[in-house]
Amino acid sequence: MAPEMSDVELAKSSKVLMVGAGGIGCELLKTLVLSGFEDIEMIDLDTIDVSNLNRQFLFRKRHVGMSKAKVARETVLKFRPDARIVAHHGNVKDSSFDVDFVRTFDVVLNGLDNLEARKHVNRLCLAAEVPLIESGTTGYLGQVTAHVRGRTACFECNPKPVPKSHPICTLRDTPDKPIHCVVYAADLLFPRLFSADPNAKSDLDEEDAVELSAFTRSPGESPESFAVRVYDYVFRTKIERLLAKEEMWADEKRKKPTPLPAFTELVPEGPTAAAHGTDGLNGDGNNSNNTMTSTACKALGLRDAHAAWTDADAARVFVSSFARIVARDESDGNHGTDKFDKDDALAVEFVAATAALRSANYGIERKSLFDAKGMAGNIVHAVATTNAIVGGLIVIEALKVLRQRKAGGDAGGVATPVPCAPCPYRYTFVKQHKSNSRLLEPMEPDPPNKSCVVCGAARVELVCDVESMTLGRLIDEVLKKKLGMNAPEVNAPETILYEQDDGLDDDEIEQYAKNCKSTLANLPAGGVRHNTALRVSDFTQKFEFDLIVTHRPGDEWDDEEDPDGYVLRGDSVSAESNENNAANGENNEENGAVAEDVDDCLIVDDEDEIKAATATAGTKRKRDDDDDDNDGGGRGDAKEIRIE
Amino acid sequence: MSSLAKTRLQTERKGWRKDHPHGFVAKPRTARDGSVDLLNWDCKIPGKAGTLWEKGLYPIRLEFTEDYPSKPPKVSFPAGFFHPNVYPSGKVCLSILNEDKGWKPSITVKQILVGVQELLDNPNNADAAQEAAYKLFKKSGAEYAKRVRIEAAKYTEAPAGFVAGGGATGAEDDVIVL
Repeated sequence: MAPEMSDVELAKSSKVLMVGAGGIGCELLKTLVLSGFEDIEMIDLDTIDVSNLNRQFLFRKRHVGMSKAKVARETVLKFRPDARIVAHHGNVKDSSFDVDFVRTFDVVLNGLDNLEARKHVNRLCLAAEVPLIESGTTGYLGQVTAHVRGRTACFECNPKPVPKSHPICTLRDTPDKPIHCVVYAADLLFPRLFSADPNAKSDLDEEDAVELSAFTRSPGESPESFAVRVYDYVFRTKIERLLAKEEMWADEKRKKPTPLPAFTELVPEGPTAAAHGTDGLNGDGNNSNNTMTSTACKALGLRDAHAAWTDADAARVFVSSFARIVARDESDGNHGTDKFDKDDALAVEFVAATAALRSANYGIERKSLFDAKGMAGNIVHAVATTNAIVGGLIVIEALKVLRQRKAGGDAGGVATPVPCAPCPYRYTFVKQHKSNSRLLEPMEPDPPNKSCVVCGAARVELVCDVESMTLGRLIDEVLKKKLGMNAPEVNAPETILYEQDDGLDDDEIEQYAKNCKSTLANLPAGGVRHNTALRVSDFTQKFEFDLIVTHRPGDEWDDEEDPDGYVLRGDSVSAESNENNAANGENNEENGAVAEDVDDCLIVDDEDEIKAATATAGTKRKRDDDDDDNDGGGRGDAKEIRIE
Repeated sequence: MSSLAKTRLQTERKGWRKDHPHGFVAKPRTARDGSVDLLNWDCKIPGKAGTLWEKGLYPIRLEFTEDYPSKPPKVSFPAGFFHPNVYPSGKVCLSILNEDKGWKPSITVKQILVGVQELLDNPNNADAAQEAAYKLFKKSGAEYAKRVRIEAAKYTEAPAGFVAGGGATGAEDDVIVL
């Protein structure tokens, strides 16, 4: 083996792709160039916002509105003019950033802020067989994980927690947490009152609400009177009516709500004074413009955004912000505000006040304006130091991955037969409070999840001309003849292309017949094109794999060399022979034993076709486990896949 | 690059085709371009024999999101459907569809539809979702039963040769006046 390269040499000789040039991205780019990396491309679709400037230190006020990727590049070039940095101002999901693009890098580093883009990059990296270092931070917490196909779990091997949604019943009738009150205010009451669409359906439109026109402003009604009427309905009348439904409160564990006092009782100075507070406005035409520029809190002198309001103050803010929103929407001529927006100060006040009053109804802990805003807007407070630590950890993991790759360990992404021991990679968690006097906790990475729907399946590459290959030919010649499938079915990422059995409806049979006559490129939902991953399965053979389509235009084919007009390559897959299938039917319970029988597998290795880059052919992966313990599966029996 | 949600829904579709309860219909919508919209399913639930709901075939819609199966689908009858646990918008309130209560990612489309069929004749007044049905159910069994039969009639296919098309719509108009 060649003498070991130093970290700097390793960095110098590597080409890296950064996705995201925001909070983590700025720190990461700085650490990369200061660690010796000099060949970097980065992608970010975002532009610079004032709120970024406190932590995204490569940006200054004069950059607001400009591309993050481009400004980050320019700033870094000032202190590392010799670095070769390419900035892409675009979406990583654009087709220009395809598998071939990703394949030109030695490692991909993620500094993203959303799950969807993370999943997308994970799949690109799996397909291109390029290692991925994934990262994230929330406040004081952060983590960095390494994902190398075949060696460690992919980003999607383990299900990710998704933000909780709240059932309507809880929100509308039986809240028991502060978040329920906030979501009720932002997602139910706000659109019901202020939406510009008069026909919008709302689950608040119960019979009594409709009867009383509780949420509709009467002709000539002042904004303040309307606001008070809504207050009295939502926090009094409705609660009284709910209490009258004894069945609802039969369960001791459910706490009964309490109606609030009438508005005039709670706020002695009355609605008009409350709505206008001390800013001296009296609702006459001359001053109405002022009303709109000011917020309810300013008018009422409630300066501390972290303080919890009294019921009376919450009621004042409710009526005041309500009236101001109505007045604003009227004068804007847009007739309404459909959705809660965390940057709309009046909307935030309305939501905070509603949530506080509702908390009072249900005896729930009351949140401040600041907290309510964070909850309603899903705001994650960022800490610059966490981002800096995470940026550093990404570089550490990247160097380990690159060293393995250069040493040939993971070269070309060839899966090591056994998940490595000792594995050099780590998942590292940044913690808020130290344990064992440490703030960083490194852990062994997870092994790949064999039943992962993203990286667990075998992959076969089909090279063909998508403008001339029809779905019918794909099914008959490739899947049935060449791969020995019996009743193949084909799913595209977004849609179903072909199914077969007796139970289909006529319209479905007709559509599938139409699909069979279509070329791959012209199929529904955007067509099957270069880099589309099809999922092919066969009920009767309990067999399933991914078919990745690579487009090669017709004029690039040599009829002599490839008389079929298509080429198959990639992982070995096999459809069970019919005899085997029968045996499997009997042995369903012990498919571990059946999986041993691999003699008559059809191996799709075309030695000539295998290029270095796709050298996974012949990689044998065996799976004898059902996916019963995997939540994503649901129907273990339908997914019993055996690949050799 | 199929999403987890769509992969699972393709599996659900396969599972349904392989085996589903008699009289039920469940299928993803077909978009105008001939593609299959896996996130939106049109389904039909038969009323259970021997209940007030029998003979009716009730249309319900399942709306999945990319967060499925971590999150349940939204399940709805047509807006205004008469049932104590159906919201004015038609949305169904059912514990197995509630993320905080009974929802589990392993629950299948079949289990959802059977669960909703079960709910038809077993309303839960402790979690009432609409006033009209709640009140009537509480007030008088006989009146509730009468109203349910009217609702069921809206979704009962007219006998062959009786009224072609439009029949159901006509019935619906009458009911709204009630």
